[in-house]
Amino acid sequence: MTAMTLHRPRLKARRLTDILSHGYIWFCLVLFVLPFVALLTQSLGERGGTSGIDNYADVFGSFGDNLLWSFKISGLALLVDLAVCLPAAYALVRYPVPGKRVIFSLLQLPLYVPGAVIGLSLLMTYTFVYPIEFMWGLVLAMSVGSFPLMLTPIVVALKDLPLVFEEAAECLGATKWQAYRKIVFPLIGPGVSAGLLLCFIIVFNEYLVTLFVAPPDLETAPLRVFNLVRTNGLAPSTAALAVTMQLISFVAVLAFFRLFGTRHFKGTYIL
Amino acid sequence: MAIVHLVSVSKRYGATVAVEDFSLDIADGEFVTLLGPSGCGKTTTLRIVAGLVEPTSGRIRFDDQDVTDLPPRKRNIGFVFQTPALFPHLSVADNIGFGLSVKKARKDQIAARVDEMLTMVGLSGYGARLPAQLSGGQQQRIALARVLATDPRVLLFDEPLSALDKNLRDSLKYSILDLQRRTRKTAIYVTHDQSEAFAISDRIVVMNAGHAEQIGTQTDIYLHPQTPFVAEFIGANNGLPGKVTGTDGSGDDERSVVSAGGLTLRARPRAGVGPGDEVLVYLRPENLVVLPDGDGAGYDNVVDGTIERVIFEGPTAQLRVDVAGRELRVDVSGGRRLELIQRHGRVRLGFNDLTLIPVTAAAAPPPTS
Ligand SMILES: Nc1ncnc2c1ncn2[C@@H]1O[C@H](COP(=O)(O)OP(=O)(O)OP(=O)(O)O)[C@@H](O)[C@H]1O
Ligand SMILES: [Mg+2]
Repeated sequence: MTAMTLHRPRLKARRLTDILSHGYIWFCLVLFVLPFVALLTQSLGERGGTSGIDNYADVFGSFGDNLLWSFKISGLALLVDLAVCLPAAYALVRYPVPGKRVIFSLLQLPLYVPGAVIGLSLLMTYTFVYPIEFMWGLVLAMSVGSFPLMLTPIVVALKDLPLVFEEAAECLGATKWQAYRKIVFPLIGPGVSAGLLLCFIIVFNEYLVTLFVAPPDLETAPLRVFNLVRTNGLAPSTAALAVTMQLISFVAVLAFFRLFGTRHFKGTYIL
Repeated sequence: MAIVHLVSVSKRYGATVAVEDFSLDIADGEFVTLLGPSGCGKTTTLRIVAGLVEPTSGRIRFDDQDVTDLPPRKRNIGFVFQTPALFPHLSVADNIGFGLSVKKARKDQIAARVDEMLTMVGLSGYGARLPAQLSGGQQQRIALARVLATDPRVLLFDEPLSALDKNLRDSLKYSILDLQRRTRKTAIYVTHDQSEAFAISDRIVVMNAGHAEQIGTQTDIYLHPQTPFVAEFIGANNGLPGKVTGTDGSGDDERSVVSAGGLTLRARPRAGVGPGDEVLVYLRPENLVVLPDGDGAGYDNVVDGTIERVIFEGPTAQLRVDVAGRELRVDVSGGRRLELIQRHGRVRLGFNDLTLIPVTAAAAPPPTS
């Protein structure tokens, strides 16, 4: 009896905390999801007598090229990022590079600098070297803007990986390259996949730098959305393209962690 | 499978001297242990032999081959680390086969060798597991199988058991010795655990501050320590600073007479130590015998003291006896320990086996207790 009367008020307080914290989480979720719902509603709006679903036909019709460009640019930029960041991270973590902290901070610069400024400075620096008239200018610009997002998770993963695995591999007769390929790379997989994902999301949705450096005949999906909104306001078909892009990013996140690579390459502890 | 020579090896990290002028010759199939306190340079020495650390000076030779400038992968060594360091993303079988697979051995050869190794370490049937699905002791056995699979010339162990609990340590150390004996590989084993070193070594190198203090068998090191450090680091010892005042007797009965801490002691003479020399006198606690009152026959030395404290440790009792203002440790075992734990007050101690170690400028400072 006494025990029950003693416990009841505490239970009540806990129940109240439960309700409050659940309420808070739902409130945040709604705040977070609402804009997406608004966009979705807009994309299903009727225009000139055609049904809302027809807006999505445009996405794969007249907008199809834009999406294709986006995929192409993102894919190539990711490859460049990987090619730069894998060796760079290894050198930064495993070798006594003098001033490595300063170097690492400097390499983060593209993250702090606004996209428009990056676009301008890229234009100023490189148009004199070569005319940015073809796709590679944009790919390289994207890589410059996004590589810190690839570098940082790989650096963190490498720092967490004890040196002893590489030493064990070398003592067993592996070359440095074999040790890297068979041991280090799989074990930093979660870091690499996190980097790939972050870079993909950023590059795929980027329009500001693209605005500055894209050649005239190249219009990525985000740039198309921006141009359309600027000239026509948010037409339903534009909203449909935007929704599609959101879906692609979202599916990329999900699919990446479910499907990509081996057991250890998946970032299993993120999703 | 190889004779290993370390020739005057040194390693400096900036101002820190990790290893200083270290030389050692290891016979084919010999099991040598590097024993010493933390930070004395054991790991550094071992890693220099492996090629994981480049020596500042000195050479490493395996048989007639100078391997000093070869990377680890070309030395054909087996290194067992403090942690098992099994590759967590590879199965046990792939871990064991790793050394052969990087050398591009045939798949069926690898599989056969993996099975052989698993049987050898008593874990056949575990090949498909991931390292995380094994206990710490099993992991270390797989680590051993992994290095043996490549048929290395030299086995190197860096405190492979220190992360395991005591019972496992005791059984695994004999497994390691057994495997080394069966494969007849030359082995260098690093530990700071004396009982481990004594249990499995052919020879022990006692290290201190980057150099070898003494190299010898268990009995050499325990019964005939050459330096104060060895006398104090190996086992328990009572140390007294003193001075040789003369000799008496002759032939087998010749004794050096030493005045130490207000006592006059008689010790077997030691080559190179004569009257007038400053020495440290060491008395092992188990060599001090509590005598029945009045009896002292057969002992070179008989001293009187007062029991200050008795510590019952199970198989032994430890007495702290005040002798002329100095506390001596006396270990008593057998039935006598049970009489003595009740006893206080005055006792008479008899002892023969003193060790004299000359005090040289380079020696460690004398003990204060
Ligand atoms: N990479 C390094 N950089 C600087 N100093 C080092 C390095 N490695 C070792 N040392 C120093 O060299 C000395 C010997 O180190 P070592 O690791 O060989 O000792 P150890 O005998 O193996 O000790 P423990 O029993 O604690 O493992 C120590 O003073 C250590 O601080
Ligand atoms: Mg060590």
